[in-house]
Amino acid sequence: MQQTLEVMGQVCPFPLIEAKKVIEELKSGDELVIQFDCTQATESIPRWAAESGHTVTNFEQLSEAAWTITVKKK
Amino acid sequence: MLQMILTGLLCGALLGFVMQRGRFCLTGGFRDMYIAKDNRMFYALLIAIAVQSIGVYSLIQLGMIEFSAGAFPWIATIVGSFIFGIGIVFAGGCATGTWYRAGEGLIGSWIALFGYMVMSAIMKSGPLTPLDQSLQSVQLPKNSIAESTGLSVWVFISIFAAIVLWILIKEQRKPKVVIPTMKPKRKGLAHLLFEKRWHPFFTALIVGLIAILAWPLSEATGRMYGLGITTPSANILQYLVTGDQKILNWGVFLVLGIFLGSFIAAKGSREFRFRMPDTKTGISSFIGGILMGFGASLAGGCSIGNGLVMTAMMTWQGWVSLLFIILGTWTASYFVFVRPIVKKKSLNSGTPITTA
Repeated sequence: MQQTLEVMGQVCPFPLIEAKKVIEELKSGDELVIQFDCTQATESIPRWAAESGHTVTNFEQLSEAAWTITVKKK
Repeated sequence: MLQMILTGLLCGALLGFVMQRGRFCLTGGFRDMYIAKDNRMFYALLIAIAVQSIGVYSLIQLGMIEFSAGAFPWIATIVGSFIFGIGIVFAGGCATGTWYRAGEGLIGSWIALFGYMVMSAIMKSGPLTPLDQSLQSVQLPKNSIAESTGLSVWVFISIFAAIVLWILIKEQRKPKVVIPTMKPKRKGLAHLLFEKRWHPFFTALIVGLIAILAWPLSEATGRMYGLGITTPSANILQYLVTGDQKILNWGVFLVLGIFLGSFIAAKGSREFRFRMPDTKTGISSFIGGILMGFGASLAGGCSIGNGLVMTAMMTWQGWVSLLFIILGTWTASYFVFVRPIVKKKSLNSGTPITTA
């Protein structure tokens, strides 16, 4: 299953706080797609994913200051 | 005048560029010590302080620059720093952070910056000047840690540098986690400058070097100080409403340069876009800016002026201020980030579920 979290317009650290909240409700192997535009989250979200053992299956810049990252729950 | 404009803008642009690319956010760093138990950004700040301290005191030793620490307005430093720490959480960035995020196109940071400038001017030359001055008049005679202990400043610099080295070695030994990155789309210099992720410790080293450079550049124009954000930010507004050119100084061009450098970095890496905050974020940014201006004026510096520069100069003001900025950040983080989550959790698990 894949779920999308749209946090465009939210400033740090809210995109990460939201992501943590949502991923708790997912099952292992489910994917969470996070769309965000807070620059600092390009550092904090992949770091959080790596440190908590989730897998990043996609991470790219969509356009000017807009990113998407897909985190697969461990 | 021309020299002041050029060297100020240049030094500021370097700083803005490096901070934007390195995601050098002190507010986030102090906040994450508490909410994420992550000290990396704090360690990065310590590296920048150590580099600057060694550099600046070497320049002083060589007679190239002058510095006098003066007295220590302890009450104003403690109260002001704590309020500043609360303000930066609401504003979503410290004084420098707000300047460089403004350069990334975040309208919320423009709002915070406006509140910050207005409140600093109110404190420094407006109706709150008496309050500012009366709190600052409660002083301890010596601000320099070396002077009050009678030891050479190099004793403290050596001890501090040793602590920083020890932290670096300890961090290096930690098991490494591979942080996923985006696929590079550019090559060579363009990749290094506008795409690659910068390690916070590398960024900190460059910030420390720029902080050293700021001293001789600033003193050559008659401003006997290094990096500083609050007074120059207030000066911009004071100049705009009075037209008095004497108000302009190297620091004014430094902060304008931060904005410019961050804009160049963001534009070059496709990270610039005007972003309008929602009403709640907009209001919280404005309140944050007001608190920042009030606190930093009282404390005689922000997280750069006190937290990065006065600490490197080994003054009581710098270290006490840094401590209280961090405590202020944690207090505000508790109410803004931690409590709402705890509350929600206890609501979900605590109340018995009744089904009809």
